[in-house]
Amino acid sequence: MALTLCWSLAACAEPEPAGGEQPAASGQETSGTENTEPTAEAPKVILVVSFGTSYNDSREKTIGAIESAIRDAYPDYEVRRAFTSQIIIDKLEERDGLVIDNVQEAMDRLVADGVKELVVQPTHVMDGFEYTDMMDAIAPYAGQFDSVQYGLPLLSSDADYTELVSILAEETATYNADGIDVVLMGHGTEAASNSTYAKLQQYVADAGHANYFIGTVEATPSLEDVMALVNASGATKVVLLPLMIVAGDHANNDMAGDEEDSWKTAFKKEGYQVECVIKGLGEYEGVQRMFVEHVGDAIAGR
Amino acid sequence: MKRRLLTRLLCLGLTAALLAGCSNAAGRPVAPAQPGAEETGEYAVSFVDDDGVQINLDAPARRIISLYSAHTENLYALGAGDLVIGGHTTCVYPPEAAPLASFDYTGDPEYVIAAEPDLVLIRPFIRRKAPDYVAELEKAGIVVVSLYPESYEDFADYIRKLALLIGAEETAEQKLADFYAAIDAITGLTARVAERQTVFFEATETNIRTVSEGSLPDLAISFAGGVNIADGAEPMTEGSTIAEYGVERVLENADHIDVYISQRGAMNSGGNLISIGERPGYATIKAVRDGRVYLLNEKLISSPTFRYCTGVHEVARFLYPELMDDLSPWQNDALASKRDFAKMAVRCLHLPVYVPSSSKYYQTEQRGHTYGLFEDLPWTDPDFDDIETAVFSGYVEWERGEDGKEYFSPDSRVTRDELAQALFVMGDFVDAGTHTLINDLAQCEKPRIVQALVDSNVFALADGDFEPDRPVTNQEILDALAFLP
Repeated sequence: MALTLCWSLAACAEPEPAGGEQPAASGQETSGTENTEPTAEAPKVILVVSFGTSYNDSREKTIGAIESAIRDAYPDYEVRRAFTSQIIIDKLEERDGLVIDNVQEAMDRLVADGVKELVVQPTHVMDGFEYTDMMDAIAPYAGQFDSVQYGLPLLSSDADYTELVSILAEETATYNADGIDVVLMGHGTEAASNSTYAKLQQYVADAGHANYFIGTVEATPSLEDVMALVNASGATKVVLLPLMIVAGDHANNDMAGDEEDSWKTAFKKEGYQVECVIKGLGEYEGVQRMFVEHVGDAIAGR
Repeated sequence: MKRRLLTRLLCLGLTAALLAGCSNAAGRPVAPAQPGAEETGEYAVSFVDDDGVQINLDAPARRIISLYSAHTENLYALGAGDLVIGGHTTCVYPPEAAPLASFDYTGDPEYVIAAEPDLVLIRPFIRRKAPDYVAELEKAGIVVVSLYPESYEDFADYIRKLALLIGAEETAEQKLADFYAAIDAITGLTARVAERQTVFFEATETNIRTVSEGSLPDLAISFAGGVNIADGAEPMTEGSTIAEYGVERVLENADHIDVYISQRGAMNSGGNLISIGERPGYATIKAVRDGRVYLLNEKLISSPTFRYCTGVHEVARFLYPELMDDLSPWQNDALASKRDFAKMAVRCLHLPVYVPSSSKYYQTEQRGHTYGLFEDLPWTDPDFDDIETAVFSGYVEWERGEDGKEYFSPDSRVTRDELAQALFVMGDFVDAGTHTLINDLAQCEKPRIVQALVDSNVFALADGDFEPDRPVTNQEILDALAFLP
């Protein structure tokens, strides 16, 4: 189900050609996949909004791959990139000379470029604070488009939960054995949507994966919560995976780091063999497909 | 006292008349001296700083604000930490400098003026980047000294000027002698190596830039007995320490790069060992294939501090780990202390020295130990780096006292139980499935770990007992570490 803001029924049915000069050429260096030139005939844009990461390799394998999948699925649209983390944006610009728009900049450029039909697709896992901030940043601009449609975060409908559980089970099938627990590390949020993790845990259990546990770095279920479940499971080995779109700092350091406070070390200190899989959700084709579907739902007004 | 009075008068707006008496021909302030000294030219401190300003002080400084992290670090190294009343936001080493009042030259100079320092230390970069800020300090009558050694050869002169400012000349000479002796010792040791290792030093991930000839990292490779494969790379601009290189040239030399060092810090903060290996084409690089990619904090290798010696030592360890990480001093039956164990662990696993990577480190509450906060381990302890590294790797335990502070207890003994837990974290021991009967397993803190290690024949039993509380000797630790791959 997508949220749709349609400011002109006529425009929804048949968008007017964009007036004015076509964009964008900011003159700044941009990363490889974002912000291609729109065509005068089809000023339709899908703005893919991500938190962002300074890990160049992971960025293209995850966010870049999601954007590519969306681009391939909707060739009539120009796909643009925006990040919500200003810290990461600043770091990339300072370090790599890579200019990536924040949401406000992206919206300003869309307006300046005369884009009238916009689809916004966040790559957030759920509607936490980042998602809310994104919506708040876009809201003032909505009147300047004929139509703004919003794709939903990865885990929104019940079907999303079912599909993600299925994808995770398939991707981790080699670890589905006696004595092995699969522990997924999410980010966690103080927002009410933190209940997403508990709900996903329920779906995992309902699907019969009794050896899969979900925890978070910054909220609940905490590492201690997950540790208690693992301790009670009788496993001798733990496989750790990030439940995050990008395998960035949290996956590399908080989860798989060699430092005393990482999840890997914590499980080893309890006597478990530990294997870490540094692979963001965005790398899974199934997850890319889910985002493509969410864009499709938005375009279709579902 | 005179400086404080002067500052207060200036703050009251009596600037013009007073400043006229304390400016040189270039209009920059010269520190006022005691009456009479100006006439005779006899100052306790007198030199031209690196911005070309004549500095005259009638007495060493006693209230210093340092706006450059290297100055701060060196002041503490010279034993003058108690004279430093403020630092820049990036001043987080030594750890006791982290709580200092923080000042930023991109902010309001009034904060510095209000703190009433008798000396503000900057570097030429700061005067160029924030000339108005520096001018405001000088207008307020504060002595501003700008120092920066442009080359390794200038380091001693820089330290001596810093020492003059605080009256620590003797300490400086001793520290400098120790510094050069330590580097010479590394060079002497690695000179024995028959086959010299070839290094690529990545200064920035962006465009895979390297360092220019004669820069501190380039010299470190040389001091450590290595060969810089990018020797002669053109500096980006004249005098720059950063040089263009590029991924193509790296890959052209893929088979010849024994060791790949990626500098960490503000200049190059992206990537990690995994992501470096994943870069297109990088799997062909010998160092990547051999697992010899290392991250090195720029504070150790590119900053003009006494810790550069640690940076050179680290490079030597990356190049010649077996030579540098000698374990023979512990081949004895003396009971091991936690200090010994930490040193053995770091050497056995060739662990890179742990250094917090962010200047914001102390702004965030740490989940475990906080770097540098052991009450019983000052940062000046010769084993500070090894112990912090072993603790951050989770190999050696520490305790929080009833006072809420952190304690390492470096001289306490290591028990078999503690050794077993550390060893399990270090290695990948699989369940052998033999389930040897261990009489006192219930007395072990982590029975699962002891069971796995006994089953793997890492630990022998004494009449069926593991003896978890028995202290181990240095040799017993070495024997156990030998089971690691």
